[in-house]
Amino acid sequence: MLSALDRRHTVAPPGYSRWLIPPAALAIHLCIGQVYATSVYKNSLIAHFDVSQTAIGVIFSIAIVMLGLSAAVAGTWVEANGPRKAMFVSACFWAAGFLVGSLGIATKQLWLLYLGYGLLGGIGLGIGYISPVSTLIKWFPDRPGLATGLAIMGFGGGAMVASPLSRQLLSFYDPAYDPSNAGSTASGNALVWLFVTLGLGYFVIMMFGVANVRVPAPDWRPAGFDPATVAAKPLVTTANVSAANALKTRSFWLLWVVLFCNVTAGIGILEQASPMIQDFFRDNGTSAVSVAAAGGFVGLLSLFNMAGRFAWSSTSDVIGRKPIYLVYLGVGMVLYALLALVGQTATALFVLLACVILSFYGGGFATVPAYLRDLFGTYQVGAIHGRLLTAWSAAGIAGPLIVNGFLDAQGEPGTLTAAAYRPALFTMVGVLAVGFVANLLIKAVPERYHEPATGGDGNEDTAPVAAERSGTR
Amino acid sequence: MSDDGRSGQQARLWISWLVVAALLGYGVAQTVITAAKLFTH
Repeated sequence: MLSALDRRHTVAPPGYSRWLIPPAALAIHLCIGQVYATSVYKNSLIAHFDVSQTAIGVIFSIAIVMLGLSAAVAGTWVEANGPRKAMFVSACFWAAGFLVGSLGIATKQLWLLYLGYGLLGGIGLGIGYISPVSTLIKWFPDRPGLATGLAIMGFGGGAMVASPLSRQLLSFYDPAYDPSNAGSTASGNALVWLFVTLGLGYFVIMMFGVANVRVPAPDWRPAGFDPATVAAKPLVTTANVSAANALKTRSFWLLWVVLFCNVTAGIGILEQASPMIQDFFRDNGTSAVSVAAAGGFVGLLSLFNMAGRFAWSSTSDVIGRKPIYLVYLGVGMVLYALLALVGQTATALFVLLACVILSFYGGGFATVPAYLRDLFGTYQVGAIHGRLLTAWSAAGIAGPLIVNGFLDAQGEPGTLTAAAYRPALFTMVGVLAVGFVANLLIKAVPERYHEPATGGDGNEDTAPVAAERSGTR
Repeated sequence: MSDDGRSGQQARLWISWLVVAALLGYGVAQTVITAAKLFTH
């Protein structure tokens, strides 16, 4: 039955609309984006298992580490087996993660939650994240930034769907639970049913993606598209580089640094957003920003994070990938410095600066697959993307460490002011400067790393010999 | 592609985009309601 999911059975027939592919990709990313909504039921899990915050926080950390690892390790498998099988496997792991996790909650076995949501779910996350990327790039050679921006926007949108949905489901399964009361926790039974509902619901939605996704025929081109117009742009290649060879190039590691720096800086704000806005406007120990307003600020950041993924990635199709990262990192440096120096003068200014910074954070995620396509071609771009995502995992550790390290040295939470954030924010300016320089140093990949010409467009279907050769270099 | 195939594909296009638009629309609407608290509290 699984052979029906193989790449060779998913080649699109003539006339197949490429506009069926973005919703297929969105169906996956909207579901796996739930991973950023785990804070909704964190307190309920702590109360149910009667454990520390750290013991529950580890579940999220395992999932994110597994995301990076599975994307890096399974990238080549995803390229070889095609998007349909990858999406199906991702859906199975993601749904199984919820179901095994629900079993852990029902039996009060925390290790089952680690194994389920953390390990199995994390594998589903990694495979799901990269599964549609190279397919979208092949369907939209004329607008790869728009295509990958649409999909990766879904990952940002997934948390926006899952957060309110989880609150409403918990209220439904446990009428005593009040989501508007920060001290209220849902019962274990409600958590079990939440996990079962999300697991089954996400599986069904992800099957929409599995059913609709197709790879283009090797000789397919969009109507009126001339590959020469794309190749004429700086840094854009028509050659192909294997995932194994990409790791040997300087450009890959420079781009790794670029992504790491951009994500580290963004996570610094995201992770601390709610207390940060309250601390910036604290006078004589009392903040002018209420807890509810701080929650609103977090919501606004989510919207800009999601919108930036689509808007900036699409803009990169027009102005180029290197220039757009110079904007993310260069303008980002100016915005971080302004936030540190004048952010406390007006709430509107603080919110504006933070929102634009977060839009750059999202844009950095969404533009990177198209940047990889420009540098390494379409041949194994999904696998290369998977390996690059280890920068995300590393930044997920570095960003909060930098911010929390500085803040811990400044005083107790609830007593901090804008001045306490300056060392962390100026450090982020330095981090972005490193990324800015790394981006400037990125150059076209030397010809010795290119795959031999096959006569096709470098799709896996047309380049099996090159794939074998690349392993022997 | 035959006429039947073309109309079937149109239906798939509509359903697929409607499903993701409904999900995204729900998420955006709920987040806008939350974000509004920044300006009302």
